[in-house]
Amino acid sequence: MTYQTEIAPPLLDVRDLCTEFGTDHGTVKAVNGVSFAINEGERVAIVGESGSGKSAMAMSILRLLAYPGRVTSGKVRLEGRDLCSLSERQLNSVRGREVGTVFQDPMSSLDPVMRISKQMIPPIMRSLRLSREKARAEAILWLDKVGIPDPERRLEAFPFEMSGGMRQRVMIAMALSCRPRLLIADEPTTALDVTIQAQIVEVMKTLTAETGTAMMFITHDLGLVARFADKVAVMYAGRIVEFGPVRDIFCAPAHPYTQSLLSTIPSTKALRHERLAQIPGMPPDMKSPPQGCAFRARCAAAVARCAQDAPELSPRGSGHIAACWQPKGLEGCKRTACESRPQHGGNRPPRERTMVEINRLTKHFSSPRLFSRGPAPVVRAVNGVTLRVQQGETLGIVGESGCGKSTVARLLLGLEQPTSGEIFIDGLAQMVFQDPSASFNPKMRIGAIIEEPLIVKSWGDKAARSARLRQLITQVGLEEAHLERYPSQLSGGQRQRVAVARALALDPSVIVADEPTSALDVSVRAQIINLLVDLKEELGIAFVFISHDLLTVRYIADRIAVMYLGEVVEYGPADQVFDQPAHPYTKALIEAVPLPDPVTEARRATRLLEGELPSPLNLPKGCAFASRCPIATDICRTEKPVLRHPMKTREAACHHVNSI
Amino acid sequence: MVDYSLKKFAQLIFTVFGVVTLVFFTLRFIPGDAASAMAGDTISGEALELLREQMGLNAPLWSQYLAYLHGLVTFDFGVTITTQLPVADLILRAMPVTLSIAVLTIVLTVTLAIPLGTLAALMAHRGQNGLDNAITGTAMVLDLMPSFWTALVFLLIFSLTLGWFPASGTISFDSPVDYLKRIALPVLVLSVTQLATMARITRTAVLEVLSEDYVRTARAMGWSEMRVLFRHALKNAALPIVTVIGLSFGNLLNGTVIVEFIFTIPGIGNLLINGINSRDYQMVQTLIVFYALLFIVINFATDIIYRALDPRVKF
Repeated sequence: MTYQTEIAPPLLDVRDLCTEFGTDHGTVKAVNGVSFAINEGERVAIVGESGSGKSAMAMSILRLLAYPGRVTSGKVRLEGRDLCSLSERQLNSVRGREVGTVFQDPMSSLDPVMRISKQMIPPIMRSLRLSREKARAEAILWLDKVGIPDPERRLEAFPFEMSGGMRQRVMIAMALSCRPRLLIADEPTTALDVTIQAQIVEVMKTLTAETGTAMMFITHDLGLVARFADKVAVMYAGRIVEFGPVRDIFCAPAHPYTQSLLSTIPSTKALRHERLAQIPGMPPDMKSPPQGCAFRARCAAAVARCAQDAPELSPRGSGHIAACWQPKGLEGCKRTACESRPQHGGNRPPRERTMVEINRLTKHFSSPRLFSRGPAPVVRAVNGVTLRVQQGETLGIVGESGCGKSTVARLLLGLEQPTSGEIFIDGLAQMVFQDPSASFNPKMRIGAIIEEPLIVKSWGDKAARSARLRQLITQVGLEEAHLERYPSQLSGGQRQRVAVARALALDPSVIVADEPTSALDVSVRAQIINLLVDLKEELGIAFVFISHDLLTVRYIADRIAVMYLGEVVEYGPADQVFDQPAHPYTKALIEAVPLPDPVTEARRATRLLEGELPSPLNLPKGCAFASRCPIATDICRTEKPVLRHPMKTREAACHHVNSI
Repeated sequence: MVDYSLKKFAQLIFTVFGVVTLVFFTLRFIPGDAASAMAGDTISGEALELLREQMGLNAPLWSQYLAYLHGLVTFDFGVTITTQLPVADLILRAMPVTLSIAVLTIVLTVTLAIPLGTLAALMAHRGQNGLDNAITGTAMVLDLMPSFWTALVFLLIFSLTLGWFPASGTISFDSPVDYLKRIALPVLVLSVTQLATMARITRTAVLEVLSEDYVRTARAMGWSEMRVLFRHALKNAALPIVTVIGLSFGNLLNGTVIVEFIFTIPGIGNLLINGINSRDYQMVQTLIVFYALLFIVINFATDIIYRALDPRVKF
């Protein structure tokens, strides 16, 4: 960044933008007077939870809001022109050409029935006024730049023939090939795996730097922001509550919301006996925004004044502004959230009992086809997994999507029959699913949902069951009144609590949780994690916690199994695996996780994992990871490494593990 | 694509065989036969038995079945039991009339329903519900009217009161204008019901696609609303629409039976009604096989079009 850009008028200048959604149940004021500016070549991150209005704000800039969304007031100036006053036709010459867009879900953002070439070449012809041949060459060039192998052939592919990461690369190539001055990226990596996310972020970072394109990056992931952004805007309830340079936001956050958000992320140095900080309550209903400060109800530092007047953004440092009456936000308040965990040492049973034992488990899926020749293709989803979970212990299973971790969960619960191998479970195993709203019958009351397993096993009589329901619902931190509600009347966090209550109903000895927090917002996630850890301590249940979120797994798990293509490649105590990973894949996974600390991020030499997961249809002969491994040698490609004990407490499957 | 077509075609052979067999046996299991229908109340006893013998109705069922299969394979559909005229000739003479009505109806319906449905979807997507409600409301009312009733109303208005179209009379291809005038009312009557279904399906399909992410992507690339609508929305909405066009062809074959009867048009529908009334096995079973083949061909075409429209369709 040069000094000239500081003086020049900003590229994008948003002033007092307001956006509403008129629904049958009232007007949702999604964006409530947002003002900020982006300079040439600058990367600004917009951070907020779902419902904070960040996406609505971004879509308002190009008037891409779906009905009934409507920009009600405000100005959006792009290089001095007010986009709000342009006609639809005039705006169409800005869209794509001057402002490119990359959306969240790469699986649905490309037209499924059109070849990539048909979607990519016409915009280039139009924006750069090139002939078809030249535009085609340009498209191939950009596909190559975003890291798509064999771009010439890939240009003629259909979207469904590509993986999610590849499609997002295509989206980025599509947006950048028209040479926009500004790129709006709306949660571009949320749907992707952590290793792919790291690749995509790197691609966007280098390419926008190369072309001098400014960028507005919308995300809920604070770690990504630290890795990526120059400036950060934190949004809450339709307003920007804090805006400033990335270092200031992370090192000296001024708004209580920013401060709370940062403290909810399990840090790498998290002390296990400390509870995660959590933000109590939920964001306000934007149909009737509260008077005064919207964060008031969840804020420990709130004073009488906060209830009357909403604070305006006021300077806190050079270019750093925040909207809070308290000059230092939460600082000085007693942080109830950081208390130590209550000790349950007295009544805890001894931990020597093995609750789950999995021996050489395999699961192969094959789909015999009527008309095709040759043997049916076999997907080796789980390929010889051996694991143990002790009583009161949490086993974390991590790996990219497609590594077989969810199949292990389904096998554990008997939802699938293993192809070979054994599973022993001492007692009963229950499951908590990823998406609480999709795993409940929407027409059943919460009480009936929790009661269902009791009825299935004909547990007790009606009175006993209803007493059990009341006990369960309070155990997961809800109230008895919630039993009478329907799933749609609860928030995501509350629904996940209900899912936990249902899993607990039959007093299981093992709970398998498959990505239980990944559908939840950051502030709610900490609540659920605390709940799970409390229950584990209180009831002595064994947990199998499956997640791609490595920071959460590190915080919650005692032991970790890292899976790659259906195999466990590393297995050991959580802290050791994270601090001194033995397997190169574990190393790469940990390096791909963005940390919520811009100083550390800047120092980290990120060695990105190249390529994607090979197809489980034809596994390589040697080490499955050899194709992506930075230290692979000939032996890795020919001979399969077995799990062995390079260290006393740990197992790893790698030929070179001693040399690391 | 060729692979796909061949596989679909191979599956057809089984279907055709099933249909052919089913038709034969269902007809034989209906009480009463051609001989008694022909004889009416006048002859009975031995005379009737003789008639049965002459018509080949006393042969064992399996030999009748084999003869029937043999006939189908060699394209010899026999003569009608009642009038002794070659069945194939009768069908070939009636077919152009019926097919021209069906094809004209489809063309008229598609050209009206798809733009109307798309327009309604676009309005609904933008929250301008007035026009959308008008279109969907009208479609609903039209959909509820049975075609025999619409036929009578149209006859009353356009033929008897206004005198625009003839209500009955000879039909020939010699004068195309007269021919079109003669089949205009049947086509209109059939279009009305088809139109409603197709417009509603188009509306639903397009409306759903309009809120898809890739449509937003196309808008974000700066394409005009028209291009977004035609290149992206309609192309993706085409699958359900093609299905409905295929289905409505089937419905039309039913519809023509009623309409041909009301407007006294010598098409396949009338042949079928006469055949059933006189228990003319030969005629009826050939016609049903013919109808079934038509259905199968249409379904086959729909499958192939599916694959051409959406490369994700697996086989």
